[in-house]
Amino acid sequence: MPTDRNRRMIELVRVGRNYTRADGQRVNAVDDVSLTVPEGEFVCLIGPSGCGKSTLLQMVAGLDAPSSGAIVVDGKEIAGPGRERGMVFQRDSVFPWLRVVDNVEYGLKCRGVAHSARREIARDYLRRVGLSHVEQAWPRELSGGMLKRVAIAAVFANGGEVLLLDEPFGALDYVTRRQLQDVLLDLWEEPGRVVPTVLFVTHDVDEALTLADRIIAMRAGTIVDDIPVRAARPRDTDSLLLPDMVAIKHKLLGHLGLEHRTTALRGGAAA
Amino acid sequence: MTAISDKRGWMVSLAVFAALAGVWEILSWVYTVEAQPGEPMVAGWGTLFTRTFLSLSDYWQGGMGVPAVADGAARSYLAALLSVISHSLATIVRLASGLVLGGVLGFALGLAVSWSPWSRRLVQLPTQFLRALPLLAMVPLFQLWFGTYFFGQVLFVAYGVGVIVFAGVVNAVRNVPQIFIDNARALGASRLQLYRTVVLPAILPAMRSVVLLSLGAGWGAVLAAEYLGAQSGLGYIIVYAQQFGLLDRMFLIAILFILYTSASYWVIQRLFARLLVWPPSSQSA
Repeated sequence: MPTDRNRRMIELVRVGRNYTRADGQRVNAVDDVSLTVPEGEFVCLIGPSGCGKSTLLQMVAGLDAPSSGAIVVDGKEIAGPGRERGMVFQRDSVFPWLRVVDNVEYGLKCRGVAHSARREIARDYLRRVGLSHVEQAWPRELSGGMLKRVAIAAVFANGGEVLLLDEPFGALDYVTRRQLQDVLLDLWEEPGRVVPTVLFVTHDVDEALTLADRIIAMRAGTIVDDIPVRAARPRDTDSLLLPDMVAIKHKLLGHLGLEHRTTALRGGAAA
Repeated sequence: MTAISDKRGWMVSLAVFAALAGVWEILSWVYTVEAQPGEPMVAGWGTLFTRTFLSLSDYWQGGMGVPAVADGAARSYLAALLSVISHSLATIVRLASGLVLGGVLGFALGLAVSWSPWSRRLVQLPTQFLRALPLLAMVPLFQLWFGTYFFGQVLFVAYGVGVIVFAGVVNAVRNVPQIFIDNARALGASRLQLYRTVVLPAILPAMRSVVLLSLGAGWGAVLAAEYLGAQSGLGYIIVYAQQFGLLDRMFLIAILFILYTSASYWVIQRLFARLLVWPPSSQSA
């Protein structure tokens, strides 16, 4: 089944989410956001901390409900979490009371997949993320990067068509982060299956440029920019130095509020 | 901890134990005041393990070919031993029944209440009341409500244990990290699966201290129940001995109690050590 770029996978229709803070003030974490993501697209959401990007992702995951508007995934309005949407969290989400392989099998087990069948799938994904050797280990015996690999394997083993990642590599060191970006892209582009549609929340500009087909910049609960990234894959260090990429980087840094001293330069770089 | 310091730790504990026993023995030589003729305030180990132990045959109610002292038989070590075993069993059966009843009910109710935030809020205040209520204040009431026989005693222990387990479970469920619940839901767990595969294992480390706490309360409760009205059990012997000023018997039973409670704690610790192979060391400590 080929990936159909004309098929709308995720549709946000005027989605809003407001909270009442402890001091009684109302806060619009997400304010009237509309967005359509076609099947198989890798979208990065970027923005300063508190801009509502994580809240948006939580709502697409079904772990939080919008105050207004609707979220439609694959033609159906969502109500709560669903197996077609996998989620990778920033914090360690791997269950410490299950061995590594049982963690990867968790979603399949919940669906009642037979033991031998789910073990086979879990082993396959553990091999792909490079963790075959710790199949029977306890999570406490693994490093932070390895735990993240387990979480990714668990989500892919569960076979969702939509992948939601909430600053998944934010707490990792540079080397581990780069390795895991490759692991993620390898699984995403895996031939022979529908390419999952990805929403990836990050605050790392280079990470967004390396991974994304399209970058959405957010600020104060709204989308402030929507930038396609057309550089060829696989992208390496040189890809990030292409003039187009540098221009996007400047734009994004501007949205993050890090570019105020170099406004004059930006025009030159984009030209 | 290394094996050497482990061994040394054991030796230190043993030495302290021996020293305490020694102090007691010396005290029994120095302080010879008697509560009544032939009944020292502080009985030495020699007295305790011969005369005092033998006197416990008074509480043997006969049977198994060993006649009771009350029926005119002489005291014997066999009767004393049978007496200790039968009264210990009576106490332990009451305790175990109360623990199981109170534990199961408290656990099930605690989980049921945790099911929704609504029910949790509903029971919060009554639970606080129950926890604040001194257990022993309820003994007379329980006696009048449920009688002084086995049923009433077990119910009292179950009450003491159940309140602790219930409050402990509600609290432990509230403290399950949200990230695990979110992850399970995102991977497709149903409400029931969430409870079975996330909530239950996640509260297990907290349940260890809850179980140890309720075990302590259980021992206290079963004694209290026996102080008032039981016709058998270790608590009954203590009260009976107190009425006649027999301090040495009371002390011997107290030592027996220390042995039993220690053994029960050890069993629970071992059980949880087996169940909890997974948590990081900071959590299992």
